[in-house]
Parts: sequence; structure tokens; C-alpha cells
Amino acid sequence: MAEERRRFQNLRSVRWRVDLGILPASPEASVEELRRAAADSRRRYVSLRRRLLVDPHLPKEEDRSSSLVVDNPLSQNPDSSWGRFFRGAELEKTVDQDLSRLYPEDGSYFQTPACQAMLRRILLMWCLQHPECGYRQGMHELLAPLVYVLQVDIDKLSEVRKLHEDCFNDDFDGVPFPDTDMVFSYKPRKDSKWGTGGDADNGSVRASKVNTLDELDLDTKDIILLSDAYGAEGELGIVLSERFMEHDAYSMFDGLMDGGNGVVRMAEFFSASKVGSSSSLPPVIEASSSLFHLLSIVEPSLHNHFIELDVEPQYFALRWLRVLFGREFCLNDLLVVWDEVFAYSNDMLLSNDEEYSFRILCSYRGAFIAAMAVSMLLHLRSSLLATEINTSCLQRLLNFPNNVDVQKLIEKARSLQSIAIDANTSSPSFLLKKDNYEYDRVHSNLATSTPPRTPLHPLSESYWEEQWRNLHKDGTGPKEIEKGNSFSRSLKKSLSQRLGLSRTESDPSPVKAVRLKSDTKNPVRRCLLNTLSDEVIRSREVAGKIQQDDFPIVSTHKEPLLSSEGPSQLKAADEDLTIPAEPADVSETQTAEACVVEACSSGENSPVFYAARAGDEHENNHDSHSERSSITSDSCAGDIDRDEIPQDEPSNCNCEDKTVSEAAPSDKNSEPVGPSERTAVSNERKPFISKLQWLLKLGRPSGEGNPDKGTCETSGDKHDVVAPIPSPSDVSSDNSRSSINLAPGDKKVVGTLKNIGQNMLENIQVIESAFQQDRGQPSPMENFSNNILGGKGQVTAMAALTELRKISNLLREM
Amino acid sequence: MVLVLALGDLHNPHRAPDLPAKFKSMLVPGKIQHIICTGNLCNKEVHDYLKSLCPDLHITRGEYDEDARYPETKTLTIGQFKLGLCHGHQVVPWGDLDSLAMLQRQLDVDILVTGHTHQFKAYKHEGGVVINPGSATGAYSSITYDVNPSFVLMDIDGLRVVVYVYELIDGEVKVDKIDFKKTATTHA
Repeated sequence: MAEERRRFQNLRSVRWRVDLGILPASPEASVEELRRAAADSRRRYVSLRRRLLVDPHLPKEEDRSSSLVVDNPLSQNPDSSWGRFFRGAELEKTVDQDLSRLYPEDGSYFQTPACQAMLRRILLMWCLQHPECGYRQGMHELLAPLVYVLQVDIDKLSEVRKLHEDCFNDDFDGVPFPDTDMVFSYKPRKDSKWGTGGDADNGSVRASKVNTLDELDLDTKDIILLSDAYGAEGELGIVLSERFMEHDAYSMFDGLMDGGNGVVRMAEFFSASKVGSSSSLPPVIEASSSLFHLLSIVEPSLHNHFIELDVEPQYFALRWLRVLFGREFCLNDLLVVWDEVFAYSNDMLLSNDEEYSFRILCSYRGAFIAAMAVSMLLHLRSSLLATEINTSCLQRLLNFPNNVDVQKLIEKARSLQSIAIDANTSSPSFLLKKDNYEYDRVHSNLATSTPPRTPLHPLSESYWEEQWRNLHKDGTGPKEIEKGNSFSRSLKKSLSQRLGLSRTESDPSPVKAVRLKSDTKNPVRRCLLNTLSDEVIRSREVAGKIQQDDFPIVSTHKEPLLSSEGPSQLKAADEDLTIPAEPADVSETQTAEACVVEACSSGENSPVFYAARAGDEHENNHDSHSERSSITSDSCAGDIDRDEIPQDEPSNCNCEDKTVSEAAPSDKNSEPVGPSERTAVSNERKPFISKLQWLLKLGRPSGEGNPDKGTCETSGDKHDVVAPIPSPSDVSSDNSRSSINLAPGDKKVVGTLKNIGQNMLENIQVIESAFQQDRGQPSPMENFSNNILGGKGQVTAMAALTELRKISNLLREM
Repeated sequence: MVLVLALGDLHNPHRAPDLPAKFKSMLVPGKIQHIICTGNLCNKEVHDYLKSLCPDLHITRGEYDEDARYPETKTLTIGQFKLGLCHGHQVVPWGDLDSLAMLQRQLDVDILVTGHTHQFKAYKHEGGVVINPGSATGAYSSITYDVNPSFVLMDIDGLRVVVYVYELIDGEVKVDKIDFKKTATTHA
């Protein structure tokens, strides 16, 4: 469509007005129709202006005396014209701030007072007409090129006027009156004899006189016809008119902002509200993600690079979209780009019931805009891939090079445009669905908890939730879980070994039972068991740390754990689990891709807090009931606290880690442990506990009909947990209640978990006994700092053990 | 489009506690560019309050003012108009138009603003305007107890000034408007 010769090829303002819907778009529209449309748009503007631009000094028609109480300058009455005047003055001040910085190069057309006044009026009126949008920075930059092209065309007109003087004369119907009639003999016709010497030169240029319009080329003819003062609608209909430049600019601006009943409405990009987009995101954010989506289809490596560097599309796309690339290209290049953008129609391509992912991609124009952005990204591809940190990446993006070949970019964009449109309607991207899912989940979260929180970052999804979704999506466990299972099996073996070797009192059988049962579970539960067993391992390691003599095995056992290969997630998880035994560097967060790794490692940063809190609790009361109730009550609120935690993805394995790492608080940051921390951190404790509960819930119901892993459901479950906890005597009744919530099915799993709980309890008892034996003994711990020795460390460890006890109780209760 | 607030004779705290609430609700900062006050505020509180409405504040000394540093008379130019300010107790007989006109000629101003009588008056006189904004709080004067709170807002726009008079009559704010146009003088 762009290849055929377009009407008004050289008259940008007319072409743009056609594209933006102000002038009739059909190729057969006659000059008359164009003129009438132009005149109509101008009349609209004039009436608008009369209504909105208020001069309170002008006398009003109605009776004065009664209205003075309303209409005086100090009146607070919102109806008063003075009130409107002051409000307009406020808006003007804001607009002026931006206008003074518009294309400030010296001698720039935009800085002339006349132009500034015009721009100010137009912006003011548009904003008064659309109070819901108000004025936003960037609107002036959308308006400026529109005014510029109008000015350019008017200059062209004056050139043509000079060249073809005779065509602009005032002869009616082209028939000159006879000179013999004295009355009409005086015609204001320029004669080469008049004028200065300069005109003589011009006269020679004009030697080739044309007598009729038809001898002119098509473009010039167009110009002349459009500017004929006696055509349709008279002067108001002169399409290229300096007098009505403001009117035309306003119409164009309005057409651009409102999208002319089309899809892409620039005004939406300035609003922060969620209307006008298909998802629950503000339109500009959604459009930014649309171009990211297109990029992922076209150039996945660059897309992944962005995700790695944590570069959100709206960091740079906000400016690109809001000003339609006005800041990235110089004015002349920008005009070329806008030519292309406006050339595509803005009409909605899809019918009402078709599903689409991104609103912006629903029209050719919107798709081209997205494609243009992607082609710009591709242009910078090599330099972007070379950047290592997101600030340098963004720097590169925000300082788009000036010397680009715009045509090449446009060509590329054209080729990408069709991809964009297809991508819109093909199965809605998982990315978008995930975003929606995240938002829905978060919103349902919010519905169940009382304090409102900010929604999650879309990418910050917990490992478990992703696993669950993958499970339900594919029907099979992701491969990582499978791999993890094999790894964890070996882990279990070593666990049983250690337990057998070092345990003095506990019954080895439950461990074996665990191992036996493990094969029957589905992958998720296997992971659960893994993490639970890992936790036990950890607790044993911790115990081993404290009493190295008794559990020498632990330290040696670390190596196999660490050295064993395994899937990234679980391996990392286990590494993190074993980390407390090693103080040094693991506390630094790893930048691994898997969420869980991040989660686990980030989780590692707060074991201290958890320990501190635990210690606090331990000191407060040993009453397990109240402690449990406090935990669970924490967990209810902790659901949403989880969302807030700066450490991104608190996964459930985290909470296990926390509980275990409680026992080894001093491994990492023993210094911060202190009374002040304890109180401050009670909040942080909740999410971990809630994680724990959630994990338990995860394990409790059976089969694939697992209730929604989102916390909304688990919060509901937690409420169930709350009930059983406070009164162990009611455990049975509450068990029955909670068991009602269980999806009918796999009691075996439940039983297995019960066994786990039993096992844990026994292990805990072992450790506790060991503690009691060694209480008071100064322990030569090279890995623990000297702050927490003996009593304190043991206290915290005891607290950790009580936590474990609770967990085991819960498990057993199932 | 300059808004100038003219008021005076508040006699705070001796004769009146404060401006009427309805007046106060109308006087919001940001709209008014200048305040001219005829005097008799009397304390610093009022001065600070007026200063908060508008930073450009001009006051002349009334006989009960506690701050002795205010001048007896003041002249200023706003737009095309020259304004003169004086409390008015110096001009005897109090409130007499001819005597005030003398003062106006003395100060060579187009608009003379005086007070002391606690009665609103506005005269057009010899190509100039004499305005008395009355008492903003309705404090009793040396002459009479029957005083309505009033003040004046002038809208100076080029060669035209519109005088809005705000009076509190029976608990309601009444507004009146007077138009003055200055004949362009031959000398600058």
C-alpha cells in the first residue's frame, strides 16, 4: 500500500491530515470535499476555543448584579469564570515549563513567541477538553512536528504562489474582465514594471507563464486548487492556510491523541490507569511488553539478554512510545518515520470476540510502531549484547545514535510488522498469560488478606508455583524435578547412613520408610521430601557443627553433597542447604537463572533473622502450643508478607532452609543477631513460616487436583491449620476437618508425610539430647564467630529444633 | 491582569478578634499579586497573615499600629496606574473628599487609598479615583459603631481598573463592581 503513488506526496500536512482522519481518506475525494472537511474541523476548533478560553474581563450577556457574587475574582465558586481562568492559568504554567524546552536550538522555529503562543493555546485547549488526561510531559513533543509540517507546507505554498503568480489572481472563473471597463480596470495584479530591482530578476524567472491550471504538474495544481480563495467554503476551506494553522494543528493533534476511533490512541500512553488495555496493565506498559514479545520472537538472544540484565521494556520504551520516537531521531528523520507510521491505518483488525494479547498490535499502525521499536533495538543489537550491566544497556538505548539510516530501519520495521500482527492473535503468549496470572493471583491474594500490598513483580515467581504451573500445563513434571529426584535419592541414602551412624536414640526405620515411599510419589512430592530430608540433614549438620566430636560424619558428608552433580535448582538448593556449614561466600547471592537458586540464596541472607526470632521465642516461652499458635497466626498474615519480602522468590525450600539454618545462626552473619534484630525481624519470620505451612499444604492434598498453589488458597488452608494447632487435643477433630479439605485420594502420601514428621521429631529429640549433654561446654567452632557461643548458639539451636518439632507435629497430624 | 487587595483598619486585637470567616475563606494565597493596607492592623499577627497571602505587602501607619516603622504615606506603580496609600487620620476633616483630593494631588497618584473612617467609599474625582476600603473586620471607628466589614479588590488591566467591593452585610458577602478607565496621559 505504501508503494503506489500517494496523493499529495509532497504535502505532508495534507497527507497526515488524511491519515489522521481529519480529511476524507478516499483517493477519489475531490478537492471540494477536502476543503469542506477542513472547514468543518476549523469551525469545531473555533467553537471549542470560544467555550474554553475564558477571559473574565469580557462582558457577559446576562444580568450582572446577580452574578457578581459568583463571578468575582476571589470567588471560590467552581462555576465562576474567574475560577476557570485561574485553573487555566495553572495549566498554562505547567505547559510553559515544557514549551520553553522544546527544540531549543538557536533560531529554532519553535521558540518564536508566536509559535510558542500557538502551541500553548492548543495544548491548553486539548487538556481542558480532556480533563481526565490533563497535561503530561511529552504531549508538546507530539504536537511540535505537526505544527512544523503545517508550516513547511505553507512555505511551499508561498513559493508556488511566487512562481505561478497568475494562477492566484482574483479573476472570477478565470475570465478576466475587459480592460475597457474603467470601473474594473484596476486589478491588483503584479506587474514586473512595478516593484524593486529585485523583482526584475524574479520576472525573468516567471517568464514561462502559464495560462491555465491544467498545464501545471499535478502537485502544484493540487496546491493551487487547495488554496484557492474562491473554492468551496471560501477562505475557511483553504486547506493550506497560515491563518488557520492553529486550527489544523489542533485537529491533527486531537486526531493523533484520540486515534480517530482506531486502536492506537496516544492519549492512552500518557495515562497511568488501566483502561484501554487488554490486561490489567497500564497501556504503555502493555505496549512495551508487546514489543518485548515481538523481540523475543524475532531475536531471542537479545530478548534473553534483556531479561538477564533485568532491563524492563518500559524503561526505554516509555519515551519511545509516548513521543513516537520524537526524541530518538532528528526532526527531519522523524518526519520520515511519522510518514510511515501514519500511512498505516489505525483501524481495528480483529473482530470483537477475537482474543488478542496486546492492544497495540491490533492495528497496522500499532503493529508498525512496535515493529519500528524492535528494528531500532536490532540496530543496536551488537552494542547491547556487549553491555554487561543494565545501566550501560539502558544508556545505550536511551542515547539512540543520531546518524542512522532511517530508511533501513523503516524497511526492517515493515518486514517485522506482519510478524507482530500474527503474534498478536496466535496463542496468546505465555508471557502475557503469566503476567495476567501473576496479577490475578496477586489480586486474589489481596482479596483474602486485609492489608493491601503492591503486586508482585511479574518475574518474581516462586519456584514452587512455577513447578506447579508447569506440571499442570504439561501434565508431567519438569525435567529438573526428575533429575532432582535421582539426586535426592542418593541424598536420602547418605542421610540414612548418617542417621544410622550417629543417631543414638532414634529409630532408623522411619528413614527407610521414607525412602521406600519416595518412589511412589509424584515429582512434586518427591521434591518436598527432598527438601524436608535436606532440612533434616541440615539440622544434623548443624548439630554436628556444634558438637563436632559426636557427629564427625557431618563434615565429611558435606563433600559428597557439594560435589554431586545435579540439576541446577535442587543442586543449588542443596548447596545452599549445606552452606551453613561453610561460612564464607555463599551468603552472597548467586546470580543463577533459576528462581529457586536466587530464592534459596537470597533466603540465606536471612537465616540469622529467623534464628534470632526463634531464639526470642524460645526465650519467651517453651509452651509449644502458644508458640505454634503464634506461628500459625503469623502465617496467616505472613502470606502476604511473603510478597513484600525484598528477597525475591521466597520459595518453600527456603522456609525449610530457614528453619534449619536457625540452628546455625552464627554461620554467616552472627553479628547482626541481637535483640533489636529480633523484634524487627518478626515480620520476616512470618513468610518463612507461611512458606512452611504452604509447603505442608502442598504435600497434604493429593494428586494433581492439588488446590491452587497460590497463596490465596493456602491462606485458606492455613486457617485450617490454625485451628488444629492451638489445641492439640482438638487435633483429631481438626484433622478430620482439615482432612475434608484434602482432595480425596492418596492417603499413602499423607501417611508418608506423617512418617516424615515422626522421623523429624525423633531426629530433633536426638539433637536436643545431644544439646543437653553438651550445654555449657565451650565448643571449638572455627566456623562460628565468637559472638554466639555456647549458650546463645545453643539457645537458638534449640529454638530451631522446636520449630522442627512443630513441623514434624504438623506432618504427623495429617 | 493584576489583582491588588486593599484593606485596613482591622484593629486586631483591640476592637476585633479577626477577619470574618467568610472573608478568610475567600482570601487564598496565589491569586493576589499585591496587598495595600491603609493601617491600624494593629499587631504583628495580622501583618504575618497578610504576608502569607501575598509577599508584596505595603502598609502605612495608622494611629494605633504597634509597629512604628510603617511610613505615613506610600506610593507605588502597578501597571499603568500610580497608587497612593495613606491611613487618613492625618487628613482633616476625616473622610472629606476635597481634602483627600488635595492629598492625591500632593502624591500625584491616580488611585488614592485611605481609611480611618471604616466606611467604604469610592469616588471618581478629577481623573483619579479615591477609594476607602472600610474596615476589614468591622471594628468600630472613632465616628460610629455601625460598621460592616468590607474590603476592596482591584483588577488592574492596562488602562482599566475594575474595583470589586466585598461587604459582609447580615452575614452574607455582597460583591459590587465599579469600572474605572484611565485616560491616557500625555506625559509618561
